[in-house]
Amino acid sequence: MKEFEPKIVYFLCDWCGTGGCETASAHHLYYPENVLISRVHCTGSLSAVHILRSLIEGADGVVISGCHPGDCHFETGNYRARRRVAVVKSILETLELGPERVWFRYVAHGEGRRFVDTAAEFNDHLKKLGPNPLKLRRDT
Amino acid sequence: MAKESTVLIYGTNLGGYRAAYAFCKKGYKVILLNRGRYVDEMKNQALAQLPLDFCWICGHMPQRLFKAIGCVTDCYNAELLEVSGEAGHFKVKYRTKAQLVNNFACAECDQCIEVCPVRVGDRKAIFVHPEAAWENIYLIDWEQCTRCGKCEEICPTGALKLERSEEVQEMDVGVIILAPEFDEPIEADLEEFGLGKTPHVMKNSTIARKSLLTNFVRDSVTLPSGKVPQSFGIVITPHFNKSGIEYENYNLSVSAAHRAVKLKEILPEAQVTIFLRDYRGFGKKHYLWYKKAQDAGVQLVKTHKLKMTPQGEENVAIEYEENGRGGTQRVELAILITGQKSPALMEPLSRICGVKADDRGFCQIRPFSSCETDVDGIFAVGEFSGPKGNPETIWEGCAALTEALKYLGEPNFQRAAPPPLKDMAGERPRVGVFICSCFGTFNKRMDLEVLRETTEGLPGVSHTEIIRACCTPATIKETAERIKKSGVNRVVLAVCTPLQKLLKYRKTVMMAGLNPLLTEYVRLREDVIYVHKDRDKMLTKALALIRVGIERVRRGAQASPPTDAFTPHALVIGGGLSGLVAADGIASNGFTVTLVEQKDTLGGHIEYLWPAQKDYVWSLISKVESNSNVIVYKNAVLKETAGYAGNFKATVSTPDGDVSVDTGVVILATGAREYRPDGFLYGKDPRIITQLELKERLPQLLKAERGPRAVAMVQCVGSKDARHPYCSRICCDQALENAIKLRQKNSDVTIFYRDMTSYGQENLYKKAGKLGVKFVRFEDHHYPEVRKSGKTLEVVTANGNKQEADLVVLSTGIVPDIANNEDLSFLLGYPLDADGFFDSDANAYPYEEAIKRLTKPYEWATNCIYPVGLAHSPRGFDACILTARDAAGRALTILGKKRMPPPNAMYVADVKESLCMGCGVCVDVCAYSARHIDPSKKVAVVHPFLCDSCGSCVAICPNDASYLTDFKSNQPIGALDVLLGT
Repeated sequence: MKEFEPKIVYFLCDWCGTGGCETASAHHLYYPENVLISRVHCTGSLSAVHILRSLIEGADGVVISGCHPGDCHFETGNYRARRRVAVVKSILETLELGPERVWFRYVAHGEGRRFVDTAAEFNDHLKKLGPNPLKLRRDT
Repeated sequence: MAKESTVLIYGTNLGGYRAAYAFCKKGYKVILLNRGRYVDEMKNQALAQLPLDFCWICGHMPQRLFKAIGCVTDCYNAELLEVSGEAGHFKVKYRTKAQLVNNFACAECDQCIEVCPVRVGDRKAIFVHPEAAWENIYLIDWEQCTRCGKCEEICPTGALKLERSEEVQEMDVGVIILAPEFDEPIEADLEEFGLGKTPHVMKNSTIARKSLLTNFVRDSVTLPSGKVPQSFGIVITPHFNKSGIEYENYNLSVSAAHRAVKLKEILPEAQVTIFLRDYRGFGKKHYLWYKKAQDAGVQLVKTHKLKMTPQGEENVAIEYEENGRGGTQRVELAILITGQKSPALMEPLSRICGVKADDRGFCQIRPFSSCETDVDGIFAVGEFSGPKGNPETIWEGCAALTEALKYLGEPNFQRAAPPPLKDMAGERPRVGVFICSCFGTFNKRMDLEVLRETTEGLPGVSHTEIIRACCTPATIKETAERIKKSGVNRVVLAVCTPLQKLLKYRKTVMMAGLNPLLTEYVRLREDVIYVHKDRDKMLTKALALIRVGIERVRRGAQASPPTDAFTPHALVIGGGLSGLVAADGIASNGFTVTLVEQKDTLGGHIEYLWPAQKDYVWSLISKVESNSNVIVYKNAVLKETAGYAGNFKATVSTPDGDVSVDTGVVILATGAREYRPDGFLYGKDPRIITQLELKERLPQLLKAERGPRAVAMVQCVGSKDARHPYCSRICCDQALENAIKLRQKNSDVTIFYRDMTSYGQENLYKKAGKLGVKFVRFEDHHYPEVRKSGKTLEVVTANGNKQEADLVVLSTGIVPDIANNEDLSFLLGYPLDADGFFDSDANAYPYEEAIKRLTKPYEWATNCIYPVGLAHSPRGFDACILTARDAAGRALTILGKKRMPPPNAMYVADVKESLCMGCGVCVDVCAYSARHIDPSKKVAVVHPFLCDSCGSCVAICPNDASYLTDFKSNQPIGALDVLLGT
């Protein structure tokens, strides 16, 4: 059997998140190809709808990275995102998808290594967790 | 003869950069003489001053924007040779040599590095500067380079030339601004601290540069042996170094505390000690770092004597002694927080342009000016005129604009109109996908032709093409023409990094006549080529990302950037020193000002000032009152405000009824009050007085035959205590000045102090010590007690030392006028800081959050409301004037512009009125007060000048009525579907 390769959506804010991603690129740091990047202006502008939509549309997991606490370009956007992710996690629990399919992790502009590590860790984590049950259901 | 309008700036300290920015914005051409080899070579020095390991200053440097539009001429390796003529008509001669790799023409394709045959360690002889963050700066190791010429041959843009010739140029300029960077102490200056003798001693600036933008704090302190030290000693060297070698500036104590806190965060087990003489955090919120360090478990040792001895290969011993008590600590890494030296350029520059040095070797500024030297029309900003910190340096940049405009002719730069954009309304989307090959380098890593072919068949795509590049002038033109020729109306550019090159890409599509909102930039290099290995998977991912781009542009809608009128008027609240200076700065440069004063006289706390300063304020009052541009309302207060940045409508209540004032900017110069002490028996005995009362009595005391026998002064009354956690900044200077005068009358003067923070008045401290003024330190919150035993007064310290006194003088601090500030804060929607002063941007530098606010254009950072002087934070006479002139300069850059685009150009929020139900959650969530509910229509309205396009309103809107112009609700959803559909 072919090894399960999760489909991952990585939401990055336009400031620190993207900066981290670009730092990783500047240092030519490798991360798995199945991590798909999607950019938002601020993690605070990311709606719960976007996260849920990703999972419904076939993503096995969603990871979100923005500025560290206190570093948000827009002062409080990352706090809003943090709260929103907490809400989404509880929704996922209700749906029995488990809260572990959504991660939220701060990545600063210079933290290219942290960005790459997050992507790789999440990839391994999802491999253990297996495919998104919603996807299986749609496939059958 | 008409006055010249061009401005020459020599040197690139932050003040110089800021001045270049302000003059460009005002419409003057600027010649920027950079002494370094590349953009940021000297700027990195400024970073060493910054308490943070992060600055982002380079991203806001004026060259990139203003050079692109033709306003700045920048010269590298430059040297000023001759200056002749007078203010308004200077003739200057300078030498310059272009950069070997012109970073404005460089496409960063790295081919030069690939072909370079010379390997030096882990890099080649041509390499990318490892520390400059914003743009890749290519440098050549001249000693290792064999001049084989291969790099020059392969360079596709002609940016690289191994031979650059020196040129000498002559120019006519109106004003000269001297802004050379500061001289950091070298190894020899820090010999006694063991720098260079052992790897266990390092300069803080070295560590800052190492951990710059990487947050690799652990790496930056690792010893050459690979060991991460577990004990650190942080030493502020100007406190202990031989006098005259280095001077302490604004942030050193904060830098020390910051470094210590950071180390504790990364290495919680490590032992961190700061060695200093006094904690001198003068700036806004600087004292909080002291507490932060204490809370983090950092040990602070205040001492007057310090000796450092390297102990073999193991560690460094730091011996210290204070009042007979002392000790030795062995640390594995000693970090030196260094000050700045008097500028080496002082001597040549005084020869060339006649500026004079002060007694410390810094450039002398004329009295009551913020940056004008003794020579008319020549200004000195930043560290050239004294030891300074970043906020002051930056303020001086704008203050130079306020002071220099009078010497300049009419603005001589007009920005070319942007290219006309085609109207695409009603057209079916025709998407063109343009894939950058970066001069053929991407082909090696990925099959671009296959990618192009696959893209070709996608729905909506009518044209696909592989382009050479679009980041150098030639390729931008070429690509723009190709886009035009292809006849598409929406564009997806698959390129390297919009983070750095967004303006170039935007220019490309705009030159093709397309609205930038109808374009997407896919990061082919950053998201695929540089970070992945598997060629097939890379292709799949690149395709997915391009499809997302296509989907987003197909759903995008064109919109022209909104513009709004700007009222060319300034409202100054408060007619004290700062208010007068600000009003004068704006009015004498041709704009109308309304000055509102609460009392019936102008001048504010004039009783605080020395005679010469009083005369200056009197002359300023008559100047302002006689200026026809200024309307003064006395006994008046601000009653109401409406409107927003750029278009405020204020109502001022005056004795003759309410007056309505339309204004573009508001300057808050409401001042502060003297702290009235409770405790210390103040008010219970006439012999216990404040410094201010002493100052009033002093002439009398000095006239008397004999001064008081024994005088005791208590510092920090109402400063740096639990209720007022800040330094009031003026009290140490006042105390020292008064103490010296009394001591000269043979009084015994004892000063009980916590930290002597006489800012910029080091000489007073020394002089007082020499004259025999006694200094007794008390620890943190253990203030000495004032007691009365019989008829005599005594000051008793916590450890029981008694000192009799005939006169007890309390050095009282500055407290904000909280009630008044709260009213104004409410009226203007402008925040107060935790202490009750008005919040601000630049002065909060040590705080990470504040940096982000600077990413807006400076004059917008506080939404056209500028707190100055004591309303902003405690400060002395000169600093009050400086902040007022800075605010005036910031206001002057935008006053006079009739219609302006919002600071975030076209990327602002908007509301679809048909969907909005006026619930107001977006108003609550907006961090910028950029929204309100229209009372008649019951829908949300956005002020584009205030919007920062964060998108909080988009995420919260229950009806999808809120959107960002480039982030319409169906765009991300559509994009997600496509991203996952592949």
